[in-house]
Amino acid sequence: MPVKTQSILSVKSPLGPPIEILKHVFPAQSNKPRVSFITGLHGDELEGLYICHRLTQYLKELETTNPNAIQGEINIYPAVNSQALESSTRLWPFFSLDINRTFGPGQSPSLAVETSQTLFDDLQSSSDIVIDFHSSNLHLMELPQIRIIKDFEKKLLPMAKKSNVDLIWVHPNADIFESTLGFNLNRAKIPALVIETGICHRIHQNTGDQIFNGMLNLLHYTGTLNIAPPPEKIKEPKQVQPDQVAMVQASHSGLFIKQVEVGQVLKKGDNLGKLIDPITGNVLEEIVTHCSGLLFTLREHPLAQKGSPLVRIAKSLSEQ
Amino acid sequence: MKEKILTLPNPFGGDLELYKNTWGKSGEPLSIVSGLQGDHLNGLFLNSHLTQFLDSIMEGLHPHYTLTGQVQTFPVVNANAVRSGSRLSPLDGMDMDLAFPGNPDGETAEAIASTIWQHTKDSFWGIILQSAPPHYEDAPHIQTYKPDGRTKKMCKDLQIETVRRQKESSTQKVNLFHQLQDMSSVIVSTGSPRTINPQQCETLFQGILNFMKAEGILKDHRNKKPKHKTNTRIYQSDEEISVRTTTAGMFLKEVKVGSHLKQGQKIGEVRDIYSGKRLEEITVPEDGLLITLRQYPIVYEKEPMAIILTTKKSWREYLPWPAH
Ligand SMILES: [Zn+2]
Repeated sequence: MPVKTQSILSVKSPLGPPIEILKHVFPAQSNKPRVSFITGLHGDELEGLYICHRLTQYLKELETTNPNAIQGEINIYPAVNSQALESSTRLWPFFSLDINRTFGPGQSPSLAVETSQTLFDDLQSSSDIVIDFHSSNLHLMELPQIRIIKDFEKKLLPMAKKSNVDLIWVHPNADIFESTLGFNLNRAKIPALVIETGICHRIHQNTGDQIFNGMLNLLHYTGTLNIAPPPEKIKEPKQVQPDQVAMVQASHSGLFIKQVEVGQVLKKGDNLGKLIDPITGNVLEEIVTHCSGLLFTLREHPLAQKGSPLVRIAKSLSEQ
Repeated sequence: MKEKILTLPNPFGGDLELYKNTWGKSGEPLSIVSGLQGDHLNGLFLNSHLTQFLDSIMEGLHPHYTLTGQVQTFPVVNANAVRSGSRLSPLDGMDMDLAFPGNPDGETAEAIASTIWQHTKDSFWGIILQSAPPHYEDAPHIQTYKPDGRTKKMCKDLQIETVRRQKESSTQKVNLFHQLQDMSSVIVSTGSPRTINPQQCETLFQGILNFMKAEGILKDHRNKKPKHKTNTRIYQSDEEISVRTTTAGMFLKEVKVGSHLKQGQKIGEVRDIYSGKRLEEITVPEDGLLITLRQYPIVYEKEPMAIILTTKKSWREYLPWPAH
C-alpha cells in the first residue's frame, strides 16, 4: 500500500480555498511503534519543513525499493499552521495567536482551539511516538537540541540520545509549557520529543541533514523501520541539567556584535562580542564568558534589550 | 501621585516606562490594572477617568467626598504594544498575559510582569480591566474562577449583573489574574479591542465608585448609601453556548451584545463575498443573554459568532411543579 495523503481538518475560508492540515500516512507491514513527525506549528520556523521534506522523499523511495522496511506506521504532518506559514509569522495571523499555547483544557472557543484540538486528537489516535520540530525565534540561533521536562525524562531520554542532536537539556517544568503540544502529548502518555534547531526564517541544510539522519536512526531504534542504521556516525549528545547551563544576558540595551558562532567550544575569558550604542557610537559593554563550555545558543538578531539573552553555554565538566 | 515603577532603556531613545498612580493613606489598597493587551482601550479610558476623579478629590474639588482607603492604578502595562498600536509587543509577539509572575532580571515582558506583580501582590482587592478577544465585542461582565462570598459581594458592589465562571485552563497559571487569587479579585471585561465605548465605561465607572463607597475606600458625606440592589447572576461554564458558523464569508449581525435573545431569533447571516448570496442564517439555539458577539465581519467556518449565557436552568424557578 503506497503512501496516502489525508486532510485531517478542512475549514472553509472567506475567499474560497479551505485551510487544511495535511498528513502523509506511510502504512506499516507490521505493528511496530507508530511514529508521527509534525512541523510548522509556528509559521516562521522552517528548519523542520526541510527535515520533513527529506523524510517524505526518503520514505517514498523506500516504498519502491524496500517496501517491507516500513514496520510501523509513519505519519508526517508537513505544514500544520498553513496561514502562519504563508505569511511567515510565528502567530496565526488572523487571530494574532500562538497556536502552541492553545493545547490543554479550558481554552475559550475559537477556530484556533478547534484546530489544535483536532490535531491533538489525530496525533493521539495514530501515534506511539511524536516528534515536533521547531526552530528558535527571530533572535536566537540554536544548535540542534532536545529539551526535556524532568517529569518525562525516563521515557524520552533514550530516544533523544538516538536523534543525532548536539545537546539534551533536562529542565524542570514551567507553567508556560502546560499549553504546548509537546507537554500535553507527554502528559497523555504519548512520548513526544520537541527538537529545536537553527533560527526562524532560515533553513540550514547541514543541521537539517544531521537531524534527518538522527530520525532514521531513531526509526531504526524503535523498530519502525527495518533498515540498516545510517552509515554516518551518530552524535553522542552533551547532556545538561539547568545548573550546567550558563546564560549571558545584556545588561544594557543596544546592538550586539557577536564574535563567536554556535557550536564553538569556549574557554573562560573568551570574548563573546560587544554591545554598542547605535546612536552615540559608544561601546556599552565588552562581553566575555565566565565559564568554559559549548556555545549552543547565540543572539543573531543584534537588537538587544536589557535582560535579553545573548548566549547560552553548556558548561564543561571542569566548571561543575 | 504618579510614580514611575520601571524604566527599561531603548537603544534608539524613548525609554519604556511603567507608571503607577496612588491615592490615599497607605494600607492594603484596591489595585486596578488595565492595558495588559495593547488594544484593550476601554480599560485605559476607564482608568484615566478614575484618575481625573481621584485627583480632583485630592485637590478638594469634590468636598463631599473623602478618600478613606488606598487606591492604586496601573493604566498601561504593555507599553510597547500600546505604543505600536497592536495587541502584543511587536518586539517578540509575546502575550503579556502569559508572562506572569515574571522575572525582574528577564526580558522586557518578564520584567514588566514582575514589576506589576510586586506592586499588586499586597492589595486587598484587585480589578483587571479588559476587552473582548480580537474580532469580538463583550457586554460588560465579570469573570472569575471561584465565585465565593467575597467575590459575590464585589460583583454586587460593582453593580455588574453578569458573572461568568471561568474553567481552569492550561494557560491560567501564567495570567496576572491567577496571581491575584489570594485577594478579592475579578476581571471586568467590556467592549471591543481597538475602540472606546464611553457609555459602557461610564456605567463601569459608576460601578467602581459604588464599590469604593461600599467597601469604605471612599466616603460620601452626603450620606448617600451605596446601592446594593444589583441582582448578580453567576453563569457556570457549562451554561455557555458558542454559536458557530458552518460557512465562511461576510458576517452581518442583527443583534446587540447585552441583549436577551429568544430561541430561533436571528443573530445575523453569512454572505458569500463574491456573489453576495446568503450562505447561512445564524440563529439562537436557546434563550439567553448575548455576552459576546462577533464584530469583525470576515469569518471562517467553525468560528464562534456569538456566546450566549443560557437561562435555561432558571426556567425551573418558574415551573408550576417542583424540579427533580
Ligand atoms: Zn516553535
